[in-house]
Amino acid sequence: MPVFTRTTKNLILKIDEFFDDIDLGLLVFKEGIKSYLDKDMEAFRRHLQKVDQLENNADRLQREIENEMIMHSILPQHRSEVSTLIDELDEIIDALKSSLNEINIEMPDIPSSLNKNFISITETSVNAAEELIPAARLYFKAPYTVRERLLKVYYFESETDKLAFSAKRIIFQEMNELDLAHKAHLRYIIHHIENISDLAQKAADLLSGMAIKIVM
Amino acid sequence: MILFFLTSGLFLGWSLGANDASHIFGSAVGSKMVSFRKAAIIASVFFILGAVIQGSGTSHTLDKLGSVNAIGGSFTLAFAAAITIYMMTKFALPISTTQAIVGAIIGWNFFTGNHTDSKTLERIVSAWIAGPVIGAAFAILLYITVKKFKRSTKIHLIRFESYIKTGLILVGAFGAYSLGANNIANVMGVFVPAFHLNDLNLWIITLNSSQQLFLLGGLACATGILTYSYKVMNTIGNNILELSSEAALVVVLAQALVLFIFSSTGLSNLFVKAGLPPIPMVPVSSSQVIVGCILGIGLYKGARNINFKVLGEIGLAWIISPVASGLLTFLLLFFMKNVFGLNVGRAANESAAVTDQTSSLTAIGQADASNIIKYLLFGLFIFGTIGIIFYILLENKKKREMQRSEEKFWKNMK
Repeated sequence: MPVFTRTTKNLILKIDEFFDDIDLGLLVFKEGIKSYLDKDMEAFRRHLQKVDQLENNADRLQREIENEMIMHSILPQHRSEVSTLIDELDEIIDALKSSLNEINIEMPDIPSSLNKNFISITETSVNAAEELIPAARLYFKAPYTVRERLLKVYYFESETDKLAFSAKRIIFQEMNELDLAHKAHLRYIIHHIENISDLAQKAADLLSGMAIKIVM
Repeated sequence: MILFFLTSGLFLGWSLGANDASHIFGSAVGSKMVSFRKAAIIASVFFILGAVIQGSGTSHTLDKLGSVNAIGGSFTLAFAAAITIYMMTKFALPISTTQAIVGAIIGWNFFTGNHTDSKTLERIVSAWIAGPVIGAAFAILLYITVKKFKRSTKIHLIRFESYIKTGLILVGAFGAYSLGANNIANVMGVFVPAFHLNDLNLWIITLNSSQQLFLLGGLACATGILTYSYKVMNTIGNNILELSSEAALVVVLAQALVLFIFSSTGLSNLFVKAGLPPIPMVPVSSSQVIVGCILGIGLYKGARNINFKVLGEIGLAWIISPVASGLLTFLLLFFMKNVFGLNVGRAANESAAVTDQTSSLTAIGQADASNIIKYLLFGLFIFGTIGIIFYILLENKKKREMQRSEEKFWKNMK
């Protein structure tokens, strides 16, 4: 019987570890961007490697969690939603990895005058995703508190949009010394960083619906 | 020949197993929380245990309503109830085995000129009404308790669901036991007064005549569970799935408690000792109780649009089932007596010295019947042991294959 096996405990630990990986990945991503802006390429590559490692671990955990839920018939009524949530969260860490990888390959030339803007966008975008993780943890323990936690996700997402919009306006309207290709490249990098908060919002929408369903 | 007369009861048992037992594990199987194989085995074993250990209480009540004193009468009565159930199910009319058999007994009483004990009938009918009402009350109380526990402990959803899953298995076993104890009288109750089998010594326990009949009825129900309940379980499961997993557990537990209350002589004695009125030992309709439990949760949740059609159908079943079954029994008894010359019973005040073909048949057949039951049990034991070993081996093979495929996947990924 399930209560007498270790399956439940192992699965809970795996889900927690998965959330930890995403949480840590967000922190490392933020530091990675800062290292890049500080032109500390050694630290940047170290952070990239760490995100890569965390992403691989998250992928392994995602597969194990889904397998165990199916094999041991755990959460049959909520299984597909929990799997989708884990998938959405995995997309966030995938986005972190791909953003750092693209910066590593494309080596965008970010003018130092924009450093502050880039740091703000990164921090706010990462904040949105960081606020999502405790809400996702709460879904399993206190689902009736999930929705209030998600308010911050929506707030940071909209702040990210505003900051990204302002940075793009500076790039395209005030920095006439840059050529169009350079401007487009910077916009592309901003779009990548901004994407993290968009993914967090998408996951928050799903989580919000899941919380209502489980409370009712 | 003696076993031929039991066929109508065994058919009723099969139908009870296929339909009513499905209510117990329907939510667990329909939601894939418990596999059908596991559910069917647990339900079968515990149904038989409930029937043999605790089935006599409700059987006595039916006996008081009408003590069918000829095997031909018992056969015809169970046959009429079975046909009523079949026909009414076919025309999608609400039906309950309990109510059909009570109607059939009253029909027999009319035909043979026996007096129907109005007090017993009153108790039976009041239990039919009380069953769903008590079920609803239990469901509300249990649901509030479970909800409060979940909220105050902040238990992890996965751990909570694993408790629910274990709970569904345990409560399902209790539910099957209670169903066996409460509803076996519907299947075999009418045969008890007419059959007098030798005691059957099974080394550990000795089964008396009625327990042997309950055992046979239980086996018929188990066959119904194993062969036909899968489809019903899935249908019920998908309907109950509208409720959360904890609500499903509450519904099954509330139903099991109601069935247990109406079949536990021990509990009734405790009531009497405490100066309270005794609990009537009455077979109640498990499907009507479960509807009561679901409605109870609906009421607690504040559902404004209670489906009055469902309530109306239950009320209709209280009237239509016994009336239809009683009329059919009367007609069939007339037919059996006058066409086949079968003794279908007599008034209780008639001379006991009246001998008939069926009573002599009983005398000849009783020793044989006990032996057949003994060999049947022995065969089942061997078959069951082989089945369990085969199941364990199959499960281990599946696990090994899964592990091998997973290892291969990660090896290729590296």
